[in-house]
Amino acid sequence: MSSGGSAPARTDARSRRQLVLMLTPYLVGLVGLVLVPALVTLGMSVTDYDLLTPPTWAGLDNFAALSNDPIFRVALLNSVVFALVAVPLRVSLALGLALLLHRRAPGVGTARTAALLPTAVPEIAYGLLWLWLFNPLYGPINQLLRVGGENGLTALGRTPPQWLTDPTSARAGIILMSLFTMGETFVVLLAARRALPRDVYEMAAIEDATGWDVFRRITLPLMAPVLALLAVRDAVASLHFTFVPAFVVTDGGPPPYATTYLSLFVYQTGFEYLRYGYAAAATLVMMLLTVAAVFVQWRLIRRYRRFYRV
Amino acid sequence: MRIRALSALALSALLAVTGCGSGSGSSAGEPVKLLVFGAPEELAAYRTLVGAYQRARDGEQVQLIEASDRKDLLARLATSVAGGAPPDLFLMNYRFYGQFAAKAVVEPLDERIAASSVLDPADYYPVAMEAFRWDGAQLCLPQNVSSLAVYYNRTLFTTYGVPEPTTGWTWNDLVTTATLLTRDDRGLVIKGTEAEGAARLPAVHGVGVEPSIIRLAPLVWSNGGEIVDDPDRPTRLTLDSPAAREALRNLIDLRQAYGVVPSDAEVEAEDDESRFLNGRLAMLMTSRRATTNFRTITDFEWDVAPLPVYREQVGVLHSDAYCMTRGARNKDAAWRFMEYAMGQQGQRIIAATGRTVPSHIQVSRSAAFLDPNQPPRNSQVFLDAVPTVRALPTVSTWPEIEDLSYGILENAVHRGDRLDDVIRELDTKSRPLFARGENG
Repeated sequence: MSSGGSAPARTDARSRRQLVLMLTPYLVGLVGLVLVPALVTLGMSVTDYDLLTPPTWAGLDNFAALSNDPIFRVALLNSVVFALVAVPLRVSLALGLALLLHRRAPGVGTARTAALLPTAVPEIAYGLLWLWLFNPLYGPINQLLRVGGENGLTALGRTPPQWLTDPTSARAGIILMSLFTMGETFVVLLAARRALPRDVYEMAAIEDATGWDVFRRITLPLMAPVLALLAVRDAVASLHFTFVPAFVVTDGGPPPYATTYLSLFVYQTGFEYLRYGYAAAATLVMMLLTVAAVFVQWRLIRRYRRFYRV
Repeated sequence: MRIRALSALALSALLAVTGCGSGSGSSAGEPVKLLVFGAPEELAAYRTLVGAYQRARDGEQVQLIEASDRKDLLARLATSVAGGAPPDLFLMNYRFYGQFAAKAVVEPLDERIAASSVLDPADYYPVAMEAFRWDGAQLCLPQNVSSLAVYYNRTLFTTYGVPEPTTGWTWNDLVTTATLLTRDDRGLVIKGTEAEGAARLPAVHGVGVEPSIIRLAPLVWSNGGEIVDDPDRPTRLTLDSPAAREALRNLIDLRQAYGVVPSDAEVEAEDDESRFLNGRLAMLMTSRRATTNFRTITDFEWDVAPLPVYREQVGVLHSDAYCMTRGARNKDAAWRFMEYAMGQQGQRIIAATGRTVPSHIQVSRSAAFLDPNQPPRNSQVFLDAVPTVRALPTVSTWPEIEDLSYGILENAVHRGDRLDDVIRELDTKSRPLFARGENG
């Protein structure tokens, strides 16, 4: 009896050891590259630090200054608006493509590759590509929009979007850029859709359910946990992936600060103007914003799960 | 299992030891690290200088660290200083070195200069040397003493029979000339105020000028105004004086009233320097650094003219200097390179690339700079401007002030914001930045 009991115990201990060993590199990375820098950022946010001389205690001065900083307020608003518009659009587009391309059919493989490809392009190269695409006079997007029009106007007699010089068009441009990099979300949703049980759909077909009913009552509830996870992930990431487009394509402009997002604000304040303590305080606000976004989505998901009794 | 664990531990220890070693070891045998930024042509000029130095001085090594632009250079410098591994030398404009000078990142050079048998401060233009003095100490050595000038496409002037600019030409002359040179694709004079939807758009614009403080400053000074209340300890921008207002109004009118400068969309589509290079811009207000790029032009002739005048000829200093970091590991070797780069030989090499107006007085008057076989023919313009140039403030927050004012001035020129609003916005938004700044 005792020998029979000790063997599983040894196996358990061994598997726990293996688990710890396998998790160690990740945990070391998490602690060294995320948690420690986050704590250091927290510490710096209450100091006056310029990277060049030792930090001095500033208390909550940085946060008070942030609340009165018009550029920070614009950056905060830009980031929130971007997340509110871009995240639903990105997830919806990825879901639409996943539902469209989950079946085997001629050309589907190519279409899936095309949907995924922009995600594989290095960010700076992707930004430079869009800099060309958005060129107000020579860029292919506006050239196309001018087809059928006269004197540089569109066929409807309107000025084509001034992507790099008009604030609204520039913000729309950054969102447009972000839509094409939803490849990862698309792949996960594609896999999730393919994993759904076939018999449920067969039963729906027997009962003559319409496509909309199938989507609303079967596909969406079954994919909801994955969708929720991806939406949370995208909301968190949206605060980061505005950086390269704003840095490379619009340089935070057109003035006044139309595409200055929190990430760019933090970079400029910290590394260009050497106000590292101030930038750390802004980073902390960014983190709190992320937590708030996750919390709100978590509450929405809980309500959704209760409604559908998932 | 134990052997493997021990091996991993040993490997980690080895990596840690070698990692530490590379951070704190001796500097012997390490190259002097020089941080610079610039266009490809400018970087090629620095590579030429470094190559010549290494050939001339056996055993000396200089490693060029190339930043993509000014902001990248600032970020790299700050982070490397914070990380305890700064470059030995960096090249920086006087407008942006204040924040590093104020934080004692830059090594004072007075003792080395006094002990040098190669460098004599009297050999250099005082205005450039003075721009790099902080709290009475010479922190950096200026490699150039450029100023703003008007580059112009001679071939276009000849084609359209427009008189070329001459010394003493006025702002009104510039507006008239630019108006006569703004042409459509049939070669007819056109008013380019309507950017989109016009039946015809300009194929050639009269003039290109960046809406920035450094472009505006000499015009304000020339009109008898001031940019800031106190050049040594500025607390605010003073563009509300009648003289400054007039200069700013006239700058905005180039786009809003006369349409002789490209619109914002046109500038985004093709920047002014490329536009000039491609023969679509008759005149361009810029500094000497554009010369290296313009020397690749083969399709037309070009030259350079002095800035137009309001009341008196005043220029704005454009000067970059070699600065040594306090934390440099190879200070002696770095100084030897500085001596070479600042000496006659080094200055001749860089001058020959067209990049700089040498700060070394004798070299600036030599054929290395005034070479009649190399455009621009009228390089003397830059030397004539030296006695008239003034420096912008070196307050530590100046980079922020320039960035802030650029956006406001850009909207003024291209969107036509009200002049009073522009001046008020510039004043109110820049005051906190001046208040936060440190002065030398």
